[in-house]
This record gives sequence, structure tokens and C-alpha cells, in this order.
Amino acid sequence: MASPKIKLSIRDLVIKFKLRGQVLTAIREASLDIYEGESLAIVGESGSGKSVFTKSFMGLLDGNGWIDSGSITYEGEDIARFKTEKEWLKIRGKKIAMVFQDPMTSLNPLKTVGKQVQEAVELHQGLKKEEAKRLTIEILDDVGIPDSESRYKQFPHEFSGGMRQRVVIAIAIACNPHLLICDEPTTALDVTIQAQILNLLKNLKEKYSLTTIYITHDLGVVANVADRIAVMYAGDIVEIGNSEEVFYNAQHPYTWALLSSLPQLGVKGEPLHSIKGTPPNLFYEVKGDAFAPRNPKALKIDFVEKPPYFEVSPTHKAKTWILDPRAPKVDPPASIKILRDQWGGRKNA
Amino acid sequence: MLKYSIKRLLQSLVTLFIIITIVFLLMRLMPEEGYFGDEFDKLDVAQREAILASMGLRDPIHIQLGNFYKDLFSGDLGTSIIYRPKVPITEIIADKLPYSLYFGLVAMGISLLAGIPLGALMARSKNKLWDKLGTGYIVFINAVPAAVYFLFLQLYVTDIFKLPILFRPDKPVSWILPAISMALGSTAHYAMWMRRYMVDEINKDYVRLARAKGLRNQTIMLKHVFRNAFVPMAQYLPTSLLFTIAGSIYIESLYSIPGMGGLLVDVIQRQDNSLVQALVLIFSSIGIFGLFLGDILMAIFDPRINLQKKEGAR
Repeated sequence: MASPKIKLSIRDLVIKFKLRGQVLTAIREASLDIYEGESLAIVGESGSGKSVFTKSFMGLLDGNGWIDSGSITYEGEDIARFKTEKEWLKIRGKKIAMVFQDPMTSLNPLKTVGKQVQEAVELHQGLKKEEAKRLTIEILDDVGIPDSESRYKQFPHEFSGGMRQRVVIAIAIACNPHLLICDEPTTALDVTIQAQILNLLKNLKEKYSLTTIYITHDLGVVANVADRIAVMYAGDIVEIGNSEEVFYNAQHPYTWALLSSLPQLGVKGEPLHSIKGTPPNLFYEVKGDAFAPRNPKALKIDFVEKPPYFEVSPTHKAKTWILDPRAPKVDPPASIKILRDQWGGRKNA
Repeated sequence: MLKYSIKRLLQSLVTLFIIITIVFLLMRLMPEEGYFGDEFDKLDVAQREAILASMGLRDPIHIQLGNFYKDLFSGDLGTSIIYRPKVPITEIIADKLPYSLYFGLVAMGISLLAGIPLGALMARSKNKLWDKLGTGYIVFINAVPAAVYFLFLQLYVTDIFKLPILFRPDKPVSWILPAISMALGSTAHYAMWMRRYMVDEINKDYVRLARAKGLRNQTIMLKHVFRNAFVPMAQYLPTSLLFTIAGSIYIESLYSIPGMGGLLVDVIQRQDNSLVQALVLIFSSIGIFGLFLGDILMAIFDPRINLQKKEGAR
């Protein structure tokens, strides 16, 4: 199989923020390749840096944040070095578009829905007035807004949450991007609408041949949409692999902990699993494996030295000393074993 | 929209009717020498009663009220008694209003043209130089009593630029300083609120989305942020209009401008009952009209204001 083309390549990215006079390192030398046409999910708990990581691809970091070192290569150009708005305007919308979390606040309340989508159409597709309007209505149709012609003239407050998220998606699509970043696209929606929106995103990905990145802490969403999964913890990607590999053959103790927290994997009658402790304070330098203090089975070296990536398969790697050939054997939790057995069964079948 | 406007207008008229009636009734409680002017001491009780009766003030109260409204609808506000005896009140106001209106409108224009861009500029450069300078100005205007910088302007600026110290209708240069002085306070006011609303809007999610869409920062500021921040500003405009008509007591006396400023205080002190009544009536109608206008403006600018809903919608 020919290796797929790399769309976006992030190398040793370090992002820092200045907060109340202190410097916080939000992303600690994270590296990631995103392949053309794939659907990648970045999972991790709140504050792990998922959003910051992807925002940096569009130059949307808050004013007190900056890329300290590392590179983000898009079509041969290191966009991490972009400084001016003019440079970023080549990327924003045109190449990379974003769907945000909260559809209730993501739209301008005083502009009609149609105008807000049309703004993107006019900007990125070089169309004017009537033509732009026609395409806008077409896109509204595409994202599943019924009666789009009359909806075009309505204001956001006349739309329900799910419908507004469709509009937000329509805006992203209207930019005609190559890469679509969905930052927790379903978190603010109720469960039935979640499924609809995920389906919509999947269909649009096919129709417009998009590369998509999902940011989420909802493993249910991940299972639904992702080809590959990157697990993020304390500003670094600790494990990455194909969806099945990460779900059924997880290697990093943090991934174990995340998966064990799935209610579906719990034993009836027993309390649900939760990860003890809190993520490390990123105001201080993190030594060794960032997850070690919360990991009951941590090795001594975990506290001393940062683990490199160990390859599990050509597509699957994890940053944990457990995978070092010299490391003592560490047993994964029972629920992970069950998953592995299931996978083994599948593979053999 | 039209239905809402009409409903709001009717509400305003009812409010106005209540205010006028209350003011009229309150005025009946005022000491009666207010109707005689200087002659009060020269008249005996029978003469006073005769005059009061001839003015209709001895009629039953509902008849008085009816007569009052009848005159009102024919545009007759009565005559002044003490301030300028026997002169129709409409004439007094017609004399004075143009000055106040002129200065008020010019000051309002200046403060809108200066204050709103200043506020927008401050919001855009939040915590940077312009913001700090602007904040300094706003704090200064709010902290220092107006009298101080008004006097300062009159004393020194007239000297530096060789401007006349007092107002003279035939000399346009003498109109500059009073107008600017009047604008200083409201400029700070507009700038402060504009900055606040802009900062509010800039931090909203839709601005982030607009950026992600690839819009230029300038476009976002102009087409999204500025416009949305201006909506709540719209509600201040009519009230400012009211202040222009009431005139500025201090500025007008400082530059001896024959405007409306201080007229109400003056006639209350001198117990010119009919003039007090007329002025309160005028000011409250303008005030209510201002509020009405503010509501209509808001409804025009903000589609979220639901005009169809019956209860609680406003």
C-alpha cells in the first residue's frame, strides 16, 4: 500500500502562555502527522491542550500565547513562523476551517444566518451577490437545513441548537477548506442531535473530500468517526494509532485509564472507574512521564526521564517506558485485557 | 414592527397623561401667591379671590383639569406670571429653546463623533497606549468636578486662542468653547460605554468564528463587533437628546447664553406656577418621547427583541 500523503506535519511543537506574570507551557514538544483524507480524533481530558494545539494551526491562539519552538508544515510551508494577519489569511478558512463547540454563541446574533454563511462564500469562492446567495442556499441544503430559502433570511435566535450547529458547519464548508477541525462539535448538543451532526460531518467529509480532525473527550464520538486516534495528555500526544489499535490494544497507562473510565467497560454493581489525581501543573517543568504521578503502576524511570515513542506496529506508537524491552512486565487493568482478548478474537476470525 | 410602535406609542401617551395630571394636581397644592407676582402684597383677600376666580382656579378640580387639557390641545400653555409677566409661555420658550437646542445638538454631535470612535479605538488597543490615554481622560472627566475644567477652559483657552469670554449671538467664534465644554462630559460617557460594549463583543465566540472563517480583523471589527456594540448604545441617544433641550445650567450661565438652562430652577424659586407647570410638561413629554424612541431604535437594530410576544416583551 502506498503511504498516504501527509497533509499537515507538526514537529516538536511548544506553545507557551503568559498568565498572571507566569509562563505556562501548554503544548510540550508534540509531534503529529495528519494524512490527506483521513479522519483523526484527538482525545484527552479538559486542559490537556487539545484545543490550543489545533488552534495553533490557524493562528488563533489567544493574545497571551505563542509558539515557542517547533514547526507546523502545511504544503511545504512552515506556518508556525507566520506572524502577520496577512500570512494567516492564506490559511484561515481557505485551507483550514473550524467548527466550534458551542453553537448557541458561535453565531453573530444580529446578522441573518444566510449573510453569515454568504460572508464565507464571498470571501473564499470569489462569488458575488446573486451567485453567492444561490451557493449559500445550496450549502444550507447540504448541511440539512430544511426550507433553506426562507431560513436564509432568519436570525440565529430563530434556530434550535442542532440547527445552529448545522449553520456553523455550513460556514466552515462555505470556506471550501481542505482540512476541517471540529472542536468538540457535539458537546453542547443533546444525544439524538449528536448522532445527526456526526453523521452529517461524515457525509460532508465524503462529499467535499475533506481531511477532518475531531477534538473530543467523548470516546463514543471517536468510535463513530475516527480512522486514527491521538491521545493527548498534559500537552503531549502519548499514544497514537488506528482506532482499533488504540481501542483494543492500548499501550499507554493513560489510555488504559481513559478506556477503563468508559461506563460500558465497568462491571455491574461496582463503582465506575475514575482517574485519581489531577493533571500536572504546567507552570512548572514536567519531569519524566507526565502521567506518572497519577499512575499507580508507574515505574521508577517514569519520574526521571521522558519516554520516547515506542513503536507497537507501523501505525501505532506510544510514549511509555513499559514498551521498553528492558522494562518489567506491567499488567494492564482487567477491562483492557478484555478488550485485547476481543481484538485478538477478531484478528483471528 | 408597526404594531409594536403603535402599542409603544399608546403606552407612552398614557404615561404622559398620568404625569401631566399629577403635575397639574401637585401644582394646585402650591402656595397661591405664585399666581400674583409682585402685586400679592398690595391686594386684599377679596381682590385675590376675584383674580383667582377669574383665572378659573376656584372651579371644581375636574373642571380645572378639563380646561387645562382643552388649552393644552389648542397649544396654549398659559402666560408667565412672575418671570416675564403676562408673556405667553410658548413665546418665552421659543425665545430660549433655540440656543439650548443649538448648543446641545452641536455638543451631542461632537461627543458622538469623538466618543464612539475613541471608545472603539480603546477597545481595539485594550491595555495599550490609546486605551490608557482614553481611560485617563474618562477618569479625569468623571473625577474632577465639571466646574473646575469648565472654568479652566474659559480662563485659559480663551486667552490662548483669543476667543471671546462671553457668548455673543452675532459672533460665531464665541460659540465654539461652550459647545466643546458641553461635549467633554458626554464624550467621556460615550467612549466609556462604547469601549465596554466593544470589549464585551470582542470576547464573544462569534468573533472567534469570524476569525476562523478568514475574515480580516478590520472587517470583523467593523461589520460584526462595532455594529453589535452600537446596538446597546442606541438606547442612550434619545436621553442625550433630552439633555440638549434642558440645556446646561452651568455652561449657559458661565458664558451667559440666554438658553433654557436653569430656567426650571429659576421659575421654581420664584414660584411662577404656570411656567413651572409648562416646563415640567415639556421636559417630561420629551423624556417619554426619548424613551419611546430608544425602544423603537433598539427594536430596529436588534432582531432578538420579540415584537409579537404579548407579555414581558420589550
